[in-house]
Amino acid sequence: MAQTQTSGLKQTRRAVLVADKIADTVITIGGVLVIAAVLGMMVFLVSEAIPLFKGGRVAAYSHYTVKKADSPVAGLSVDEFKTIAARVNRSGQVTAWHAPTGAPIKSPSFDLEHKQVTASAQAIDSRYMAFGFADGAVRFATIEPKTEVMNRRDLPSGLKTLDERDSTDGTTVYSLIPGNQIRKTWIELQLEEAIAMSPSARPIVAMDYRFSRFGERPTKALAAIDDQGAGTLLRAESKLNLFTGQVKTDVQKTDLPPLKNGVNIQHALVNELASSVYFAEKSGKVYRFNTRDVSDIRLAETTKVTPDSVDLNVFGYLAGEGSVVVGGSDGSVSIFFLLRRDGATTADGSMLVKTRAFEPQPSAVVAFSPGQQSKMFATADVAGGVWVRYGTSTNTLVKVKRSTVDSKSSERILLSPRSDGLLSMNATGAADLWELDIPHPESSLRTLFGRVWYEDYPEPSYTWQSTGATDAFEPKLSLAPLIFGTLKATFYSLLFAIPIALLAAIYTSEFVSPDVRGKIKPVIEVMASVPSVVLGFVAALVLAPVVENWIAAVLLAFVALPCSLIVAAYLWQLLPPPLALRIQGLPKLTIFFVVVLTGAYAAYWLGPTFERLFFDGNFKAWANGDRGGGAPFHFMMALPVVAIGVGAVVSRFFGARFSAYMKTLHPLNAAALDLARWLGIAAATIVISFVLAAGLQCLGFDPRGGFVGTYVQRNTLNVGFAMGFAVIPIIYTLAEDALNAVPEHLRAASLACGATVWQTAIWIILPTAVSGVFSAVMIGMGRAVGETMIVVMAAGNTPLMDMNIFNGLRALSANIAVELPEAPKDGTLYRVLFLTGLVLFAMTFVINTVAEIVRLRFRKRSMQL
Amino acid sequence: MRESGNGETVYHAKQGPEGSLLTIEDFSLWYSGKQALFDVSMQVEKGFVTALIGPSGCGKSTLLRAINRMNDLIAGLRTRGRILLGDTDIYNPSVDVIALRKAMGMVFQKPNPFPMSIAANVIYPLRVDGVRDKSILRETVERALRQAALWDEVKDRLQDNALGLSGGQQQRLCIARAIAADPDVLLMDEPCSALDPVATGKIEDLIDDLRGRYTIIIVTHNMQQAARVSDNTAFMYLGALIECGETSTIFTNPKVKKTMEYVTGRFG
Ligand SMILES: Nc1ncnc2c1ncn2[C@@H]1O[C@H](COP(=O)(O)OP(=O)(O)OP(=O)(O)O)[C@@H](O)[C@H]1O
Ligand SMILES: [Mg+2]
Repeated sequence: MAQTQTSGLKQTRRAVLVADKIADTVITIGGVLVIAAVLGMMVFLVSEAIPLFKGGRVAAYSHYTVKKADSPVAGLSVDEFKTIAARVNRSGQVTAWHAPTGAPIKSPSFDLEHKQVTASAQAIDSRYMAFGFADGAVRFATIEPKTEVMNRRDLPSGLKTLDERDSTDGTTVYSLIPGNQIRKTWIELQLEEAIAMSPSARPIVAMDYRFSRFGERPTKALAAIDDQGAGTLLRAESKLNLFTGQVKTDVQKTDLPPLKNGVNIQHALVNELASSVYFAEKSGKVYRFNTRDVSDIRLAETTKVTPDSVDLNVFGYLAGEGSVVVGGSDGSVSIFFLLRRDGATTADGSMLVKTRAFEPQPSAVVAFSPGQQSKMFATADVAGGVWVRYGTSTNTLVKVKRSTVDSKSSERILLSPRSDGLLSMNATGAADLWELDIPHPESSLRTLFGRVWYEDYPEPSYTWQSTGATDAFEPKLSLAPLIFGTLKATFYSLLFAIPIALLAAIYTSEFVSPDVRGKIKPVIEVMASVPSVVLGFVAALVLAPVVENWIAAVLLAFVALPCSLIVAAYLWQLLPPPLALRIQGLPKLTIFFVVVLTGAYAAYWLGPTFERLFFDGNFKAWANGDRGGGAPFHFMMALPVVAIGVGAVVSRFFGARFSAYMKTLHPLNAAALDLARWLGIAAATIVISFVLAAGLQCLGFDPRGGFVGTYVQRNTLNVGFAMGFAVIPIIYTLAEDALNAVPEHLRAASLACGATVWQTAIWIILPTAVSGVFSAVMIGMGRAVGETMIVVMAAGNTPLMDMNIFNGLRALSANIAVELPEAPKDGTLYRVLFLTGLVLFAMTFVINTVAEIVRLRFRKRSMQL
Repeated sequence: MRESGNGETVYHAKQGPEGSLLTIEDFSLWYSGKQALFDVSMQVEKGFVTALIGPSGCGKSTLLRAINRMNDLIAGLRTRGRILLGDTDIYNPSVDVIALRKAMGMVFQKPNPFPMSIAANVIYPLRVDGVRDKSILRETVERALRQAALWDEVKDRLQDNALGLSGGQQQRLCIARAIAADPDVLLMDEPCSALDPVATGKIEDLIDDLRGRYTIIIVTHNMQQAARVSDNTAFMYLGALIECGETSTIFTNPKVKKTMEYVTGRFG
């Protein structure tokens, strides 16, 4: 009997053990999976973002020697797919070859009628060239690699195989491309008639040529200077008559004021708009003409861009023409911007400012090639080094070495049209071709997080602007404004949410009976179930216009609501005690709501008056800084601080005497006296705040430009309201739980000591639950940081870095949502968005971890109580 | 000896030299409809120690908490009758509950010091009263801790957290806190139930010490304790006051059979 009993007992135990074991395993596996999922996500985000910080590499390299040039090299050319490369000499001779192998390809040459070429120029788009002649004339030329895709069936026979992809019939290269198709590539030349440039028909010594299309109209800009220092600017615009099919070219030629005789101009520079022209001497002295207004052209600036005894060897634009690259004989490479400066001594108020310095090359820089679609460029030095750099980040992406070094430094380099190849060639015919793999040239730690001086910006800044209208647009990918936006939205929404949520938590946990709490708490928690897209939608489409219309009333409400509640509380004391005691629960709550509504109505009603008295009748104009002084806002900000100060002083010095005196009075009289005291404090507060505000204004402090400023409809105030609405229930619930978790016996002990409920809450309950409340706030903060829809819809998505509560912002999360459709897979923007996600993840992770650690500590501590 | 059950309380309490401080008159109390006290009437003599005894659930704590209106917080509570402190009815709506509680120190069954320093615990009742004078506060800490026989043990670590004290020390700290504001009445709800005999002994000595200075009402399940420390004893049963009399009489020669059964340990 006893035997069976024990064995029965054992059996049960085994079953329990098995169940326990299973539960244990399942839970462990689940936990490990969760951790693995989080880690996996992080690893994924990191792996997507890492390529952003990698430079470039050389994917393939070939070198060969082509026919020696019969005259100095005027330009290099290569097609988009790096199939055919060509060299144009000043004689007009064109030498073409198969780019990967160096095998010669036949090509026509320019017939320059044996005139002597004294200068040549090539646009950033390397197809467009110009020759300058000894007789002062200029001829435009085009060397265009043509391509055509055809079916493989149509491939002619008898081709010579160049490599596994390409074959040729001598003049055309046939490349096998995916889809069983063939791409034909050949070179076509065009040469235009001569245009006389030099006014006195002197040899052209330097010139620069830009080719662009303004609204499909091919537009040429050319600046040339002759050996006597006389410059000429030419602007030619070709218009196609849609009816006749005729092309009409408008040529506008303007002589520039001549430079003094004896200048030795080596470099010329002109922009597409032909609005500024530079001529530079070897010494580094630069003459800038402002040619915006052709009827009033003047030498705007004379400056020096290299130090003394350093020769200016490279002087050219990057794509977009915002940056002037300067390369010196000391190996230095830097970028100058033409910036409008207050106090500039130049004739047009702008000046060349050195804004970026690059890693210097070990010997004199002799050649330069700008990328066609980005701020990438390459520089070559005399010792054979060719460095590929990125203008925005100032990073050096790739460093390569030429196979042969030509002592005559007749080096020419060319970045291929897609910036994925680099061709180098000198007069001897020795050529190198590097295939470059630089997936994310524009990103670096500095451009992603640092302050960068962007083109056309007056100073270095943190800027986010991922896409622009043109190819030459400089992407500005600083995450700083986004991180700032996230923190700003979080800050203002917590500023709004924390006081409300904590006061509500204290109220329900300490002041109301459990059954009222049982009603209030679920109602507030239901707030959390409102989808944030609805909140964002309401904030953007309903709240924002209302707040904008009634901004003065909204501001006033921040004063009116607390005041109405305080006044109501004092009036409540005036009620006969039996009546006051009888009104409890719901009726009291109703009265409370009536008071709040009254306060809101008062704010609404007084709003216009308030706006007139404080903000000169127009808040938005005031916020802009157009009118009025800073005092009204100082006054508003000073109110709460001064009120606390005055209250503290009064209770410190008169408190004891006052309460002793109160005890001798009838309760109702005492209450009346109390109200009078409060009114006195309020009056004193107003007077002191006013004096303080006036004083601050006299001292020159103005809040505008800091926390307040220009009013925008989709602004942080609305985000604060909407996000506050989303965050309040979270903070409230968790804080309320923390407050409730404070053991009842502490509450009882405090009350038994004669403390009021309020004193108990502030001195006993809150300090005991402080870490729980803190973690509630942190979790609320985590929510605010990660919140997306509200900031997408209500914040205006302007990536700004100012604290102005009336301005918009762009948060990290919103940025991902907004930019994702514009980010092609594996592009830089795509990866930057992953990095944005990683930063966001890190922020919420840190915040939530801190919250969790504090919460655990709080749990341990409250166990001891 | 009388049978109980006729609803009449038997009184034979010792009269104090200074008369009675608290008068409870026909006091009944309902917890959301459920009656917990039935027409309790008694007088508490000033400067005396009055013990409340009775089986678990008979309403001792309820009565004690009714005296400083700690029951107010309970929803659905209803009372009838009067409790007079001096000659003011503490259930009169115009009575300032806060002031009332300040006049009554309370010690709970379980030591419940605040999670702050020892000194801060002691001066808490003064702090809520708005006393800020440092010298008064310092004097109070020393006086209350000396009266609570704790001074010598903690005088060197007044700024340490009170939760670091032993259970007995914590309870004496709570007593020090209860008497810090010099209340008229000290209400103690089973103050020794969580303590060992040595600590209990110390607290009993303390109560003995405080006799005369404070009017003490102590709830206890420990008959010997009631016999040792109290002057008068009230025996409650099922929410009603059965017998209220001189302690020696209650324990040696009770007038009601129920009391006799209880004190001799035949039930409860
Ligand atoms: N907050 C409350 N709500 C409802 N009923 C209560 C409440 N507190 C006590 N009671 C009930 O009132 C009666 C008296 O309780 P009380 O705590 O006064 O007993 P007690 O004599 O102190 O018992 P013990 O010796 O166990 O502490 C009990 O039946 C109890 O269930
Ligand atoms: Mg009890």
